[in-house]
Order: sequence, then C-alpha cells, then structure tokens
Amino acid sequence: MHFQTYRRIFSAIAGLAVVAMTGTAAVAAEFPPEQIEFFEKSVRPVLAENCYECHSAKTHKVGLRLDSRDRVLRGSDYHKVINLEKPEESPLLLVVRHEGAKLKLENMPKDGAKLSDKAIADLTQWVKMGLPWPEEAVDLTESKDPKDHWSYQPIQNPAPPQVKETGKLRNEIDRFVLAKLESQNLTFAPEADRRTLARRVYYDLTGLPPTYEEVERFAADKDPQAYEKLVDELLRSPHYGERWGRHWLDVARYSDTKGYEAGGRERRFIYAYTFRDWVIRSLNEDMPYDKFVLYQLAADHLVKEDSPERAHLAAMGFLTVGRRENTFEDIDDRLDVTFRGLMATTVACARCHDHKTDPVPTMDYYSLAGVFLNSEEPEEFPVVAEPADTPEYRAYLEKLAEKQKVVDDFLEPKLAVVAKENPNIANRRFQLISKLERPDRRQYENLQKVVDKFIADSRMEPDKALVLRDKESLRPLRVFIRGNPSRQGDVAPRRFLSIVAGENAPEFKEGSGRLEMAQAIVDRNNPLTSRTIVNRVWGYHFGKGIVGSPSDFGLMGDLPTHPELLDYLSTWFMDNGWSLKKLHRLIMTSAAYRQASVHPEADRYTQVDPANHFIWKMNRQRLEFEAMRDTLLLTSGQLNQDIFGRSVKLDARNEPPRRTLYAYIDRQNLDPVFNTFDFASPARHTPERPYTTIPTQALYMMNSPFVVDQARLLVARDEIQTLKDPKERVKTLYRLALSREPTADEADMALQFVSSQNDPVLEANRQTITQWQYGWGDFDPEFGTVNFRPFTRFIKDHWQPATAYPDRETFGYLALHAGGGHPDNAEAHNTVVRWTAPDDMVVNLSGVLRKPKAEGDGVRARIYSVSKGLILEKVAEPGKEASTVLKGVSVKRGETLDFVVDCMANNSHDSYTWEPEVTNAADDSQYWNYGEDYSGPGRLATPWENLAQALFCTNEFMFVD
Amino acid sequence: MSHHSLNPEHLFYNRRKFLNRCGMGMGAVALSGLFGKALGVEAPSPSSLNPLAPRKPHFPAKAKRVIHLFMNGGPSQVDTFDPKPMLTKYNGQMLPGDYIKTERKTGAALGSPFPFRKYGQSGLEISDLFKHTAENADDMCVIRSMHANVPNHEPSLMLMNTGFERVSAPSMGAWITYGLGTDNENLPGFVALCPGGVPVVETQNWRSSFLPGAYQGTHIDTKNTEIEKLIANIKNQKVPDLYQRKQLDLIQRLNERHLEERQRDAKLEARIQSFELAYRMQMEASDAFDVEKEPDYIRDMYGRDLQGRQMLITRRLIERGVRFVQVWHGAGQPWDSHNQIEKEHGRLAGECDQAIGALLKDLRQRGLLEETLVIWGGEFGRTPTVELPTPGSNSPDTKLGRDHNHHGFSMWLAGGGVKGGTAYGATDEFGFKAQENPVHVHDLHATILRLLGFDHEHLTYRYAGRDFRLTDVEGKVLEDVIA
Repeated sequence: MHFQTYRRIFSAIAGLAVVAMTGTAAVAAEFPPEQIEFFEKSVRPVLAENCYECHSAKTHKVGLRLDSRDRVLRGSDYHKVINLEKPEESPLLLVVRHEGAKLKLENMPKDGAKLSDKAIADLTQWVKMGLPWPEEAVDLTESKDPKDHWSYQPIQNPAPPQVKETGKLRNEIDRFVLAKLESQNLTFAPEADRRTLARRVYYDLTGLPPTYEEVERFAADKDPQAYEKLVDELLRSPHYGERWGRHWLDVARYSDTKGYEAGGRERRFIYAYTFRDWVIRSLNEDMPYDKFVLYQLAADHLVKEDSPERAHLAAMGFLTVGRRENTFEDIDDRLDVTFRGLMATTVACARCHDHKTDPVPTMDYYSLAGVFLNSEEPEEFPVVAEPADTPEYRAYLEKLAEKQKVVDDFLEPKLAVVAKENPNIANRRFQLISKLERPDRRQYENLQKVVDKFIADSRMEPDKALVLRDKESLRPLRVFIRGNPSRQGDVAPRRFLSIVAGENAPEFKEGSGRLEMAQAIVDRNNPLTSRTIVNRVWGYHFGKGIVGSPSDFGLMGDLPTHPELLDYLSTWFMDNGWSLKKLHRLIMTSAAYRQASVHPEADRYTQVDPANHFIWKMNRQRLEFEAMRDTLLLTSGQLNQDIFGRSVKLDARNEPPRRTLYAYIDRQNLDPVFNTFDFASPARHTPERPYTTIPTQALYMMNSPFVVDQARLLVARDEIQTLKDPKERVKTLYRLALSREPTADEADMALQFVSSQNDPVLEANRQTITQWQYGWGDFDPEFGTVNFRPFTRFIKDHWQPATAYPDRETFGYLALHAGGGHPDNAEAHNTVVRWTAPDDMVVNLSGVLRKPKAEGDGVRARIYSVSKGLILEKVAEPGKEASTVLKGVSVKRGETLDFVVDCMANNSHDSYTWEPEVTNAADDSQYWNYGEDYSGPGRLATPWENLAQALFCTNEFMFVD
Repeated sequence: MSHHSLNPEHLFYNRRKFLNRCGMGMGAVALSGLFGKALGVEAPSPSSLNPLAPRKPHFPAKAKRVIHLFMNGGPSQVDTFDPKPMLTKYNGQMLPGDYIKTERKTGAALGSPFPFRKYGQSGLEISDLFKHTAENADDMCVIRSMHANVPNHEPSLMLMNTGFERVSAPSMGAWITYGLGTDNENLPGFVALCPGGVPVVETQNWRSSFLPGAYQGTHIDTKNTEIEKLIANIKNQKVPDLYQRKQLDLIQRLNERHLEERQRDAKLEARIQSFELAYRMQMEASDAFDVEKEPDYIRDMYGRDLQGRQMLITRRLIERGVRFVQVWHGAGQPWDSHNQIEKEHGRLAGECDQAIGALLKDLRQRGLLEETLVIWGGEFGRTPTVELPTPGSNSPDTKLGRDHNHHGFSMWLAGGGVKGGTAYGATDEFGFKAQENPVHVHDLHATILRLLGFDHEHLTYRYAGRDFRLTDVEGKVLEDVIA
C-alpha cells in the first residue's frame, strides 16, 4: 500500500517470490511521449509553482511530496491523495477545486489564490491519464530501503565460525567472539581469578556481594566444575529474581505513583508492588519469556479471576504502572513501553507522522493505539491473594465500609437521578459520575479522596492486580492528523505492525485484539522480540549490549557488533524454551564472560579498539544505586533480606531496612538520591541507565547520615566489638566490607589512620556522650540485672525502637526524649536509661518523676544497680509527681545504674518527665544530668567508624572487575 | 581547627599523584545525545564522566548565565508592565468586541489601580508596583505580546519550563546546563530556589527528564537559613574537618593502588577526581549561601527579608559561575490573584520589587549583567476584565480580581545581550490578547537559547528514537530583542 517499492525490495531480500507488483508503480516509463509532454508543459510547472514550497524534498507537510510519481501515489501520512479508479474524486483535485470540506481537508494552495480553471482542468486531465511522469534518476538521498535494515530480517541460525585458538573456547559463544577478535589480530584476556569471578557472579546474579567465607570457599574448591556449580547455585537464589526483576522494572518504567494529580487526588497506585512481586516470582521460577510477555500484556485473557492462576493478573502492571495524564497520553505510554520494551521499536514517533527513519507508518500507530483505546481498567481491581480472615482485617473492612458509606450516601441519590436521564449507561458508574454537575462532582471527588487515602495508607488492604480488560463495546479509532485528536483521518483497523505482519495484515478478531497483539509479539517469526531480550540480557551481563541501543533496533539505532552471535543466541534462546536462566548460564559460562577486566596487551588493544567492542576483556562495572545501598546495609548487618511486599520509603529507616528494590518510587517527586546515582527515571521506559560521575555522589558517600550510620553499625557488629587486637579488627573490617583480607601494607595504613586520630579533646567529647545509654527492657530476676536493649532509631530527637511512631505492631508509644519518655504496656516494654560509672565512686541520685496527665493509673520508676539490685522504687500518680532521691550509692568503674520506668497496669496517658541526675558525692561539681547530656547517636564518629566509611568510599567497593 | 583547612601538601599529593593523570580522554564516552552541528561546526559533546564540564555553545554569545525570576501563579500584565489607558477608560463597562474565553467567566473591564510612569532614558512605562525594578528600565526589554496555549496553571508551567505541556521533557535549565556545562563544578550547575516548599507541578518544573540526572535542578528551600538544611550532604556532622581530610587521603591512597593494578580506566579516575571536587564543594557551597558575609549596605539594598535573601543568594551563585538559577516567588502559586488584585498584587510586588531592583543594580555594578540573562515572568498573565464568582470554584465572594489569561501577557528580559530600554510586541488596546508581533513561549525559548549562543534547532538529545529539543518543532528567534 504505502510502501510498494519497499515491499518489493524487502520481499526479494527475504528470498520470497515477487508475486504481485501493482502495475501503476512498475510501469512508470510506459507513458506515450505526448502525455509526458503534456505533463512537462502543463502540470509540472503548476505543481512546482504552487505546491513544492510545502510538498517536496525539503519540506513535506503532512508527509506529502508531489515531486515524483511514486510519492504522489503514496499520498500523505494520513490519506491517499489520488484515486485512479475514480480520478475526479481524488482528494488532490478536491482540495484544489476548494471542495476539501467534503473530506474535512484544507483547501489548497493554503496561502495562495485558488488555481486557475485551466490549471485545475490540466491537473484533472493528468490524473485521468494515470499520472504520466517521465522516468527520472533515483533520488540518492533515499537510496536505502528501511525495510532492508538488519533487525527486520528473519532471525538466522548461523553456524559458529572456525577459530585458530580452539583451546580458549568454552562454548559456542566464544567462537563468534574469538573469530571476530582474531580477525583483528586480538585475543581474549586470561580468565579472571577465582576471587574476582566470585564477586562478579554474585553481583551479576543477586545484586549482593559474596561474604568473605563464600569467596574463600569458591577459591578453594578443587572441583573443575566449581564455577558452573556456583552459577547454578546463584541462579537458584531467590535474590536472582530481585536483581533481574529490577532490570525488568527499568524496562517497565515501574513506579508506585501515577505522577502528578491536581487537587490532592490520590497519586498512589497502591497495588503496583503486586506487579513487582510477580516479576520477581516469575523470574525465580524461570517462566518462559514468551509466557512472561503474554501475561504482562493479556493475562486477563489467559487466566480466570477465580482460578489459582489469578496471581498472574498482577503481570499487567507492565501496562498500567505508567504515568497517567489523559487517554491518549496513557495509550502512548503503553505503546511505548510495549514496543520499545519488547521489540526495540520506536512506534511513538509515528504518532504525528510516518516514522522519519523506520518503516512504521502512522496507520500502524493508530492500529495499535486502537488496541489500548479498547482496553480499560475495571472499576474494582481483582484480588490476587485473599487476605487472612483476622480480627484486624475484619476491623479494617468495617472501617472502610463506614468511610465508603459517607461517599455513597452523598453519591447514590445523585447517580440515581443521572441514571434515570441516561438509561443506556445506568450501570456504568464511571460514566454516570462524569455526567454529574460540576459542584457535585467536585464534592464527590473530595469525599472519595478521603477513602482512597485511607485505603492507600492501610497495610490491611489485600493484594490486587492492576489489570486492563477489553471494553464491552468496541470503538474504532481514526488516524489523528499530526497527532491532533481534533483532525481525524482514515479509520485505523486494529492489527499488528506492518513491518512484521506485512501490509494489509488481518485485523485482530477478539475484543480489543490485545491478546492477538501479544501473540504476534512472541511469535517465533517476529524478528525483533527474541533479539531484543537476548540483547538486553547480554547487555546487563557485559555492561554493553551487542546492539548498543537496546530499545532502538531501528535505523537511528546502533548496529550490532556481533550480528551472527545475536542471531545464534536468539535462535538458541527460543529453541531452549525461552528460558532466561539457561541463557544466563550459557552466557556466564563462556570464556568471553570469564575474562579478566585487564589485558596483558592493554596498550596495543586500546589503540585498536578503545571501546572494547570486540570484547577482549570484561568491562568493569560500577554498582548501581541499589547494589551499592544494599551492600552497605548488608555489610553493616542491617539488611532485611525478605523478598516481596509493599514498597517502603527510602528514608523511612524502617526496621530493619529492606533491599532498595522495594523502595517506594514516587514518579512525581523522586527522592533526589535516585537521580544523583543515575537511577532509571520512572517517567518513561529506560533502555539503559545513564552513567555520570558527579561530586554529589561523592558527597553522599562522605557525608550522608545514611552512609555514616552504616559505618557506625558495621563497627558495632559483634564480629568487630569482640576483638581487642586492632590488627584483628582491621582484618575483620576488610572481610566484612570488601570480602577479602587486607595486605600487610593496607593493614598498616589502616592502623596508622586509626591511631592518628587520638586527639584527647575529641576523645573526651566522645566519652561524655556515651555516659548515658538509651533503651528498653526489664529487670531479669534470673540474672539479677536489667535486660537492657538499646534503642536503634533516633528520629526527631526521640530514641525509639522502630521507625514508625507510634509503632502499632509492637512497641506502641515506647520512646525516650530529653525530658522523659513513654513506656508501653507489653512485657519488658519499659524505658531504660543506663548510666555507666566512669570511675569507682560514691554517688547521690536526684530527680523528680512527673506524670502530667490526670488520666490513667500512673507510672512507676525503679532504679537498679548491678551489685545491689533494686535500690529505689517510686510511683507518680496521675497528675502528680514523686521525687527520686537516694544518697550514698557506691559504684565501681564500669558499673551501670539503670533507670527504669513502667506503665503499671495500663499505658494510656503515660507520658512522663524524669531527668535523673547522678552526682559524685565527693565532688559535686562532677555530675551527669540526663536532660542536659541527652543526645543522639555519638556526636562524633570514632576512628574505627571513619576507617569503615573510608572503605565504603573506595573504588574497590564501588566497582566490579 | 580552622574551617576546612586545605593542607598544601594534601593538594600537592593528590594533584600530582592523580588529578593530573586523570586525562578524562580515553574511554570517556560521549553522552548518548547528539550535541548537534550548527553552522557546520560540531560543538563538543558532554562527557558522561564529567557531564558538567564547561562547554562552548554553537557560536559566540554575550549571555553566559541565566536568572529566571518566576512569578508563579501568573502576574497581571495590565498592572505591571503593559499600560492600558483604554482599560481605565472602560472601567466598569463591558469591553467592546467579542467575548474572549478564559478559564472562568469574567465581567466588566477592571482598570488598573496602579499608576504607570516613564523610566530611564528610554521612557519605558512601568507601574508603581515595580518602581525599584523600573530604575533599571534601560537594561530591560519588556515583551508585551507573550501568549501560551491554555489558561491552566499546570500545562502552562510545564510549557514555560520544558516546552511541552504534558509529556515528560527536560526543563530549560537542564537543557542549558546540558548545553554549556557549568563554570563552577563545586556548585550544582542548575539551582532552583523556592522558599517554603515547591510550586505547582512540583519538581517537574526543574527536572532533567530523559537528560542525565546531573542536569536536574537542585531545589533549595530558601526559607531555611542553615547551610546544612539548604544543600543535602554538604557537611558531615560526625567527622571533624581535619579527620575528613585524613579520611579522604586514605581513600585516595587505596584508590591509587586499586587503579595501578587495573591499567588505565577513565571511570575509576573520574571517580577519584569527583571526591576531590566534592571536598572542595563543601567549602564553596557553604560560602555561596552565606549572605552574612555581605556588607550591611548590600544587605540593606536587597532588603533583609526572605526575597532579599534569596535574590542575594542568587547573585552569589551567579557570581560563582552557576549556570542557571531559577528563583520562585514562593511555594504553590502566590501570584494567582483571583481576588482583590490591588491588595494581593500590592503585597506580592511589595515583597519582591526591592530585591529584584537591587539584584539588577548589583549585577550591573559588578559587571555581571552583561553576561547574565535575567528573565522575569509567570506562566501566563491575567484578564483585564474582572473575574466573576463561579460556584464550586473559587470563593463565592470573589471580587475585584482577575482570572488566568494565556492570550496575552508580559515578560521581560534584561542583560545578557538583550536590547535594553525597549518594549517588544503589543496586546490589544485593553491588554487582553497579543496582537502585534505575538511571541509564543516556544519563540521565547528559541530566543533565550540564541542569546546563549545556541541554534535552538540543533541543541538536541536523542531519546526514544528521536532527537528532542526544547522548542519541539516550533520556535522562532526574536531578532529585535537582541542587541
């Protein structure tokens, strides 16, 4: 149709017989000379003078060119302009006759006077003749047919080439890579050593480093299959799905929010995490990739909502977690993620005009847009995992119903009125709502907002899937001229991309056609799908794809560096059941992958191939933000390695922190640290992350409270704290932070660094701060001491056991602040302030316990000493106070006094104030007042913490060889 | 210990051992964008390893830096920079001619309560609302024929800041920082000052979108006065300066060994260098935001209030080579005076006029104005007619206010190669619609890029199969605005 010539060449290349060639295009030279003369004398001058300013080589408005016969026949991006069957009705003639309105076309010439009657008659005559035009030289600027482009050709299964150095081969991949290297007189780098390989493989497959012990075990493994065993073991790790799931979320532009919503409307998707979790689970189960894609595009057609397979409905988040704007922007977003994501094809360019470089006509865009136009979100999202029927859940449902009732009480009577007026949509709630009067609608939105927020805030809401479904009544879509919905062209039949399915491909039959579209994407004969995913997987492993533009295999994209290898792998992948895990294994067990990241002949090689296109070494890779943050948390012993679950805010410092993959992604106001570290923008699909090196990244490592905190927590680990020998400490720090032991030199440098910070003034300063400790616990009669557990969170000047305050799940209001605190009523949930004696001495204790509120049953203070047990007990009645004075308590150096407050029988209204003071009885200028000394985690980092942080900042920490 | 004392030995050690060796050449790949060819000359592409390094534009230009004073909410043109005696004449009467549709219904003409006067040698007419600013009239070019597409804040903010109303696209500041890098790598290249929170559409106003995150505007809440609260991670609260330097030396010595074992690797070298940059940034940034360092007479000239402080910070940033400073009047949309224009605009201009006037004067005195392009305006203007109360919309007692108006509004440019003391274009006799030489937002963008030395059609970035630009497929340069 549009691309007769393209089609012809394409067919020939593809080895197909040229069956039908439309006569008009093929016989251009066959016109009698007098017709050619007529054209030259009477038609070409008219065209040149009146049309070419806008419709020739330099400018071709609406994609229309009138400077060659083929182009006239092709027409604009939206219409044919010539009708050879009924010449008089040709749109070209209508518009010059100023009858364009019949077809909703603008009259022409647009800015000039109407053509003379003679000119119009000549043009008409010319069209009737069948557009006589002399044979003209080929326009060199358009010499290449875009359909010849490599990526549109069928995937081949090339035989692996012969190589000279067969001893270096590990599998078939290597033949392709080595053959290319040898052709340049290059060869592989030697295999990386075991320790390097361990770090590489762990990060590559799990996003986490190996422990020191894991590295050493692998290094010592004598089994010739040790490496393969390790790869297999890690492919079985549940963290594999997390690591590669995050790669997929880059493709899927994952976000927990819709983007900007005016007027305080709920921005959260609430259920986006069910998609994330489905991706992790499916990858861990090695779901065949074709099935993986089918579910993401059309699970609603493939599984029933009441079947056990309904969990797969969550897959459709792939389409729905995009930015929300309006109908056609949302469709554009879904088309973009589908076709760039799955077929490395940039269809979005064809929204306003035929793709400038790739064979994607505007008609194709609207054919596929029609699929999404006829898919909609249901009013209720389906539940994918039934919540446990607990009293809390039932309470939640009751509360929800109560809140929803407020909305319904307002809305239902109004809707009933509208339904009566519009019986055809009486049971379509959304549509009825859209027909409400503006003030009513606003009122409804304001009420509904409250309910939406309640649901989004709740942890009790069941898991639901963000699905699409086909619309009940289908709506045809017309081409939008220049992408403008108010200027519509021909109807676009719902069908697949012409570059794959051919022109005039059959229309989709079932519903919106979404399932058929999905099937066409994963069809074995689709030349793009397998290549796209194989290239992505290769790219994540090597840091660079075989095609350098992983989401653009079009004419603007990069050419493959190893086209045969790409085809070989694409075929192998499909032949092996579209198994991603098998593909990983094949790639990772190749000699190409196992190379060192340095090469003995680096200088010469760098001259020949500076960018390492030929893969003569492994590319050194920097940890992404997620891997970096996860490693810090793992190293400090804080990382919660649970998989699945709702997203948590990055700065929530929840207890204990989760892997970064579970961080709440706010599309609208992304936490700036993500941008600092080149995170995948959730605005749209991310083919590959940007790579920048900027000082704000370094500032984060040097100064952020998060990194400083991890250094503190690393040093606080038992493995370090139990060691007295500084040398042993350095060794263990290295093992924990870098999974290796320090060299003798490095150990010396570390020790020197630590001892160089022995500033007596600073030390004293640190001491003061650590005289008091803040925590919770209870007296344990069995051991005769208080079972003291330090608070781990310091938020808004409060020491507390969890991030949330109050912590509804466990600790309630349990916390300490500068003036006092609040106990909880669960067992042992008492506040404990611990004071440590700096020396042998006798001390006097003073202070006043107050319980300001008149409600409740009072609070009780107890003071315990290690040597004497309970030494004081006082109760402050509601609204009253009690003095806590005790003289002459003798303590030994390092002995502790514990100041414990409990809530008596119930803990309501149990906020108290108490600032105990300890005074040296022999020297009352030496005293420690709880309130005055109150502070957060030690004001200054210790030398050891500074050392730990330095290790975090090194390139060794941040890069994987 | 003195403030971040830089031991010369440290500097020497690091410089000699690393920095000079860090050539940034080999392996430093260009960002995936095209830094287009213009006039046959290919401008150098930004490097991914040092994306903020200064670069030359397509052709030489006067303007090197930009200050964008954003009066968010939409200031009224007829009360500020577009005098309309006819409007005053029609005060209280319906305007003749067709009713022009805006977001809400409007009624009779509302003459400006603010008198206009002529200023400078040029005699440019400016209302009393901006009498301090007006003292700089001979440096200003007022564009009185601006127009945008719709009378709604969200799309208009996006259009003014990114050139696109809906799709995610990089902001102008991100584009310009991408194009020129920054002259001071110890500070962010693109800073968005907004006191008290964020404007409508929030961080989208200064985002980098598909450009690398390095070009994203850094939002600074100028309501804060402590440096630690102004810039994230600018100071380590737990490590004294002396120890931090020791710590950094240890890091770099470890990095040096690491590098030696790994042959030449530009990415490793770049990261080594970035830590030194970051170390210096701590001092430089703290200094830049510390307005206490200014003499009293300067602080008095700007005014010792919020706007005075943020304009003074602006000058200190520009002086230090920050490429693009966007200054927002405040969080939300302060200039959205649907009600009581006299009182509301009076208050708003009262807050910022002195500071803006001082900023222009101060820049000029320091010789910075020639190289600094100052832009003033909102996302659109306001109706010359009075807004009528709309049920379910604004407050029912709306009176003597003005509705949004995208058909015609005023902005001004100053410094940076702009033809001062001039007015360009005109609205109709009532100030409703751009009539003479209409200037679309795309045209303004094209002109701003030209003033900075770019052909707006060739400052592009390849994304999703297409070369994107700030001006999409539009934009014409206003030659008459350029000196």
